[in-house]
Amino acid sequence: MPAQTVIEKLTPLVGPEKAALVDYAATGCHVRVEAQPEQMPAVAAAMLAQKFFLESLTALDLLESFEVVYHFASYDELCRTVVHVPLPVGTEVPTLSTIYPGADWFEREVFEMFGIIFSGHPNLKNLILPDDADFHPLLKDFVASS
Amino acid sequence: MMLEKGLEEKTFYLNLGPQHPSTHGVLRIVLEMDGEFIVTADPVIGYGHRAHEKMAELRTYQQYLPNMGRVDYLHALAYNQCYCMAVEKLAGIVVPERAEFIRVITSELNRISSHLLWFGAYLLDLGAFTPFLYCFDDREQILDLLDRLTGSRLTYCFYRFGGVPVDLDDDFIAGCRAFIQRLRSRWDDYDNLVTKNVIFIHRTRDVGILPPDLALRYGVTGPTLRGSGIPYDIRKSEPFSVYPLFDFEIPTGERGDVMDRYLVRLREMEQSLRIIEQALDKLPAGPIMAEKVPKRLKPPEGEVYIAVETARGEFGIYLVSKGDVKPYRVKLRVPCFSNLSVLPELIKDTMVADAVAILGSIDLVIPEIDR
Amino acid sequence: MEKKTGEPLIQLAVLEDVLNLCRANSLWPLTFGLACCAIEMMAAGAARFDLDRFGAGVFRPSARQADLMIVAGTISKKMGPAVQRLYDQMPAPKWVIAMGNCAISGGPFMYEGQYAIVPGADQIIPVDVYVPGCPPRPEGLIEGILQLEEKITNRPRLRKYR
Repeated sequence: MPAQTVIEKLTPLVGPEKAALVDYAATGCHVRVEAQPEQMPAVAAAMLAQKFFLESLTALDLLESFEVVYHFASYDELCRTVVHVPLPVGTEVPTLSTIYPGADWFEREVFEMFGIIFSGHPNLKNLILPDDADFHPLLKDFVASS
Repeated sequence: MMLEKGLEEKTFYLNLGPQHPSTHGVLRIVLEMDGEFIVTADPVIGYGHRAHEKMAELRTYQQYLPNMGRVDYLHALAYNQCYCMAVEKLAGIVVPERAEFIRVITSELNRISSHLLWFGAYLLDLGAFTPFLYCFDDREQILDLLDRLTGSRLTYCFYRFGGVPVDLDDDFIAGCRAFIQRLRSRWDDYDNLVTKNVIFIHRTRDVGILPPDLALRYGVTGPTLRGSGIPYDIRKSEPFSVYPLFDFEIPTGERGDVMDRYLVRLREMEQSLRIIEQALDKLPAGPIMAEKVPKRLKPPEGEVYIAVETARGEFGIYLVSKGDVKPYRVKLRVPCFSNLSVLPELIKDTMVADAVAILGSIDLVIPEIDR
Repeated sequence: MEKKTGEPLIQLAVLEDVLNLCRANSLWPLTFGLACCAIEMMAAGAARFDLDRFGAGVFRPSARQADLMIVAGTISKKMGPAVQRLYDQMPAPKWVIAMGNCAISGGPFMYEGQYAIVPGADQIIPVDVYVPGCPPRPEGLIEGILQLEEKITNRPRLRKYR
């Protein structure tokens, strides 16, 4: 069963009880993982080795902290894995763009929308906003000046 | 030609866009050129940014419905469907079967119209004008049907939480069946006009080959991926709505070149016709709207990820709710974002004319990348 | 025709009228689709609605060869300077049609705190005709082009219906 294999491969990397099955019918995911920022490159390498692709990379502004959320899925057998990385304000996350080149653009977008810095990223500048934009619109306390 | 001493060969930069007939919207690609050949390509996006994700946090769930039709306006109904499914899953609303059938029929009609438009616009990029007129004529037939039912021609906002607001009538069903016969008779025309055209074959065979492992590293989905031989289609891999009730195939290519992606889309239109036919045959009677859908929808706290297969690939919504009338976070995972990120790899060391052919074969809609 | 006050030395009135008639009946639009309205603009140029019968079906990709800019779609703040530059590149006489609600006033994306769009094309370039709709039907765009023709020639198209 692919979900069990994912849990087996990731538990040594993230610690016990951090990778578990979740109810697919309620959440749309099969496996939920909680990881620390420095564990992410190893987690991503393990997912790539099992032929998973990076479906989505985004962040949540939880007012006192952030949370970076990664979704992985497979072309072969359905097993969506969501990885939540809690992030105190000001912490950096290692980039995944060396393992998944597709993460390059996702991380640039999270950087410009939330201000989260991805260390080791080759080209961390604005992707969608104008080059000189210095605001981070998806933060909860962002108010646009007219 | 002899190079004089002291002269060095340098590369120059060429801007493709943001105003360009073949960029399918406002995309800018900064090309570093060595003569006719491309050394590096750097897409610059954001010229169509309209702040969809920020608007989601400031609108109630119902108020956000019209936005979904504008993210990708060519297959707007699939985006409507994904958002409705995400909210319905969070709120625990069950959609009646007839409504699911209506959603599938209209969404597949929309898929065909999106592929037809891609077909016409792509051949316009390559320099052929006649296929554009043919396929827009077919597309207008679909738009007539959907216009009668939904009221819009392009940016649909037809589905509601719990079902659909308007039922199909006999005229729609008869028109649908007549349209299926008519389009089936046109495949020969398209084949003779385009697929067997020797110029088209020269411009698309063995051009822009996408290897499967590169596609995996970039998260490519949709016909762009299926042209490389990987049969990943959410309608079969992660079935949603009533797709398991229908019998259809997933066309794939072999070499992953532009011609294969073109053939995949052409065959997908025929498979969509099969789905619509079977759906019309099996259409059950019953209500089209779930009962007791609250007017002020307040889904319980939680998060959900729902994916559907659109004409361009996998569209996913990651919806986080904190129990309020407005979503806490809506992340739109759009297929063209990942599909475009693989473009610099594909057009390295090709000529500009091939770059235009490859760019068109990925089937981009830029406002969805920029959201 | 109304008599002009302060008449110029050389009477070019009749020639101007003929030139305006020629310009109105052969408007060459710039291919400038920004978002969803671009598709309805393409549909207006395609077989069923056929802009070509009004002489306006020759879409030119280069701004230097066009005399009509149909702003079809939302103008984002990043795109604003490009729109201005393209308008400047068009040779006079030139006209602008703002097609769709986004080009008129920001459309459905205008909300308190919108940071990303320019609320209407007339904030950056002068607009001659506004075609409302989201998106407007191709017939709407054709009506807009006919209104522009009336504006250019200064005479109604179908006299007995006005």
